[in-house]
Amino acid sequence: MLQVPGEVQILKEDNVTHSFCGLASVGWMYQKIRDSFFLVLGTHTCAHFLQNALGMMIFAKPRFGIALIEEGDLSKNEPTLDEVIAEIKTDHNPSVIFLLSSCTPEVMKVDFKGLADHLSTPRTPVLFVPASGLVYNFTQAEDSVLHALVPYCPVAPAGEKSVVFLGSVNDATADDLRAEAEELGIKVGGFLPESRFDRMPAIGPDTILAPVQPYLSRVAVKLERERGAKTLHSLFPFGPDGTRVFWEDLAREFGIEVDLRDREKAAWEKISRQTAMLKGKKVFLTADTMMELPLGRFLRSAGAEVVECSSAYINKKFLAKELKALEGVRIVEQPNFHRQLEDIKRDRPDMIVTSLMTANPFVGHGFIVKWSMEFMLMPIHGWSGVFTLANLFVSPLDRRSKLPAFEKEVWLEGVMPAAE
Amino acid sequence: MRLAFWLYEGTALHGISRVTNSMKGVHTVYHAPQGDDYITATYTMLERTPEFPALSISVVRGRDLAQGVSRLPATLQQVEEHYHPELSVIAPSCSTALLQEDLHQLAAQSGVPQDKLMVYAVNPFRVTENEAADGLLTALVKRYAVEGPKTAAPTVNLLGFTSLGFHLKANLTSIRRMLKTLGVKVNVVAPWGAGIADLKRLPEAWLTIAPFREIGQTAAAYLEETFGVPTEYGTPLGVEPTLHWLRSVIEKLNTIGAKEGAQPIAMPELHAFSLDGMSAPSGVPWFARTADMESFSNKKAFVFGDATTTVAMVKFLRDELGMQIIGAGTYLERHADWVRKELDGYLPGALMVTERFQDVAKLIEDEMPDLVCGTQMERHSCRKLDVPCMVVCPPTHIENHLLGYYPFLGFEGADVIADRVYISCKLGLEKHLIDFFGDAGLEYEESSAASGDGSIPVSAGTATPAAAPEEGGMMWTDEAETMLKKVPFFVRKKVRKNTENFAQENGESTVSVEVFRRAKESLGG
Repeated sequence: MLQVPGEVQILKEDNVTHSFCGLASVGWMYQKIRDSFFLVLGTHTCAHFLQNALGMMIFAKPRFGIALIEEGDLSKNEPTLDEVIAEIKTDHNPSVIFLLSSCTPEVMKVDFKGLADHLSTPRTPVLFVPASGLVYNFTQAEDSVLHALVPYCPVAPAGEKSVVFLGSVNDATADDLRAEAEELGIKVGGFLPESRFDRMPAIGPDTILAPVQPYLSRVAVKLERERGAKTLHSLFPFGPDGTRVFWEDLAREFGIEVDLRDREKAAWEKISRQTAMLKGKKVFLTADTMMELPLGRFLRSAGAEVVECSSAYINKKFLAKELKALEGVRIVEQPNFHRQLEDIKRDRPDMIVTSLMTANPFVGHGFIVKWSMEFMLMPIHGWSGVFTLANLFVSPLDRRSKLPAFEKEVWLEGVMPAAE
Repeated sequence: MRLAFWLYEGTALHGISRVTNSMKGVHTVYHAPQGDDYITATYTMLERTPEFPALSISVVRGRDLAQGVSRLPATLQQVEEHYHPELSVIAPSCSTALLQEDLHQLAAQSGVPQDKLMVYAVNPFRVTENEAADGLLTALVKRYAVEGPKTAAPTVNLLGFTSLGFHLKANLTSIRRMLKTLGVKVNVVAPWGAGIADLKRLPEAWLTIAPFREIGQTAAAYLEETFGVPTEYGTPLGVEPTLHWLRSVIEKLNTIGAKEGAQPIAMPELHAFSLDGMSAPSGVPWFARTADMESFSNKKAFVFGDATTTVAMVKFLRDELGMQIIGAGTYLERHADWVRKELDGYLPGALMVTERFQDVAKLIEDEMPDLVCGTQMERHSCRKLDVPCMVVCPPTHIENHLLGYYPFLGFEGADVIADRVYISCKLGLEKHLIDFFGDAGLEYEESSAASGDGSIPVSAGTATPAAAPEEGGMMWTDEAETMLKKVPFFVRKKVRKNTENFAQENGESTVSVEVFRRAKESLGG
């Protein structure tokens, strides 16, 4: 194990396994930006992944597809996507096409930037989104998508201070965040991304960028550099603790001092049944969605003992406040799954937050699990998300307590002969 | 370069892992970028595996490539240390296959003994799921099977039963039950549940049963050529094929038995195959002759799937349920010739061979069959068109991985399929009654969503403004729309579509009462 230098201890191991590549971001990004099309330049593997692993089996007219690299395409110097793009325009008429890279064309050294520029028209821009598993994990391609959208955010003039929330959230959550900000007297400039391509927010030197998802460090840096915007480095707005600190810190950026401790207290009271159940429980987070740090921090605030919080990549500056709040917890970047498995078998945590690939086998080993991906799909942001967030952790505990005792020698016989 | 949305077959890596995930003591190590182990989720989610599938990934990062570093040796060491597999199968993914690395040499650097490692590198741009699975199973059989004495009593191998196979466990159970009734023991099932030691003793069986064209038959042929173990290649799907299969299995075993000096096996009374041991083994022959099934003579079916299923389903629907086959197709081009040969005389036109689900959807839309037997793709295509569809083969969805005993093979399988055909298709006798009396009282089928609270629904006639065209459809006048409403709800979409086709062919831009009447006359009601 390598130790990353710096004040907070992060153990760095050798792998990210049992998680998805950046193409997974398509699963929610195409739904968020409703006039978009997501085109992956990829192979049979990419198609099989999107089709199977994400459970995105077949929509009537999916706004994403694969420009399929077949054997005959390997010998060509540069892929020609003109026909594919024409087909997409005819069938879907999108306002923007995101062109996602994948591993094979990256190995082939396809010039994606040049390709996207060539295919782009003023009417339908084609934007390059790096997403391949050679570099990017699960949620990180959302960062790439937002990165690509930056030129389409108008420049906000200096002098007018407003907040732009960074990260895709559903419309109801966006409305809540907006209303909350306005109530505090904070002017809202919008969301990156908005749900339509032509409505991306204006960003300028007096924009405060408030990240609401913990995996968007690159776009934040780009906006600081190119627009002079300022990034809020706070806790992420998950749970009563994170939400209070997030709003207080954001308000402070606008010269507004607010004390939301009563509000936080009320929120904790609302979930007192849940925190009573979580108190003292040992929780282990394996690396998957890169939401692990804020989730671990909430669990810790709720009274749980976080025995390990691991994440694919940890940007120490972007997550500085979360890391500080987790001081004393074992934090691991690029964890080695074999090692985690041994630790888990030895330490017997009360709950494991883990990926689709490992959840059922952990249950088979007698553990209680929570799917990490569910946190991506449920409205857990802000005050209105507190209840949902707490319940996500508590529901597997509740459920297990309702089911009768389980004798695995009896009920697992023949389920997986390979393991018997 | 073509635009693809959904593909029928999985990748070579998927095929490889289906074999190794089936087996004891065999581990797969993917040499691949991060995320290519998504395949693991297909086992943990669809098969709900209570143990970690024996799949590890040796992650290839962009930075590693730039620095010329490979994690493969270290990954193999870790796999050895933590899981002690008897064999690790090393397989590249599509992107790493392009790197042209010497995987044998990299694997050797791990220090893991060579006899515990196997590099299985197929061209992932040419070879897909089924071919890779069949190829790996064959390679494993070649590597491990050794000459041994024949078992004293008659035994069979069951080859090709593989993780994520369609209704895998139920089909296996159905076959096992029939063999038990014959008094025949199973020597080895492979790859499902087999270990290396099991592969070694494959040649001890009297006969190999390999019912799937896609996986297992190549290994069976090898056992036949090398060790003289004969093979039964038939697929016992449907009552007559099952009877034929039983007779053939008995005959082949008795040929061996004669040489071994064993008592010949006799065909038992057929009720011995039934679940209660005292009834007809299948209800299908009687069911097909009952009066209300007569309407099935007019029902048109279309079948699309893998090779084995397409052949077997077409024969079952026509030969045993007496339905009309309007077409069939497969997504497995490499088996297309075999399918054509098997279905000679069954199809009105050429066999459809395509990997594009859109082509299949188009055909279904044009033909509007009464029943489609297909994959999850066809189910989705059919749902949009309101065409009855039953899923009969992969690609599947979680809802095709059920707990209950729903075999497709054997006598019990025939019953399961016939039941599904029956409940999938629109009604029989009831259809006549509805045609005669109209659909009075059945309208709720369509409008229940709007009036789910049981309150009196607003009359559709007054609430609906002038007919706007449905998506991609044509304008209908109010009068024509009213007339269309008199058509039973369950064929209304089909009638609408046929009428619009008729109007288009006759240069009409709007469907009026007059056009609708002419269409009805022309299309025979």
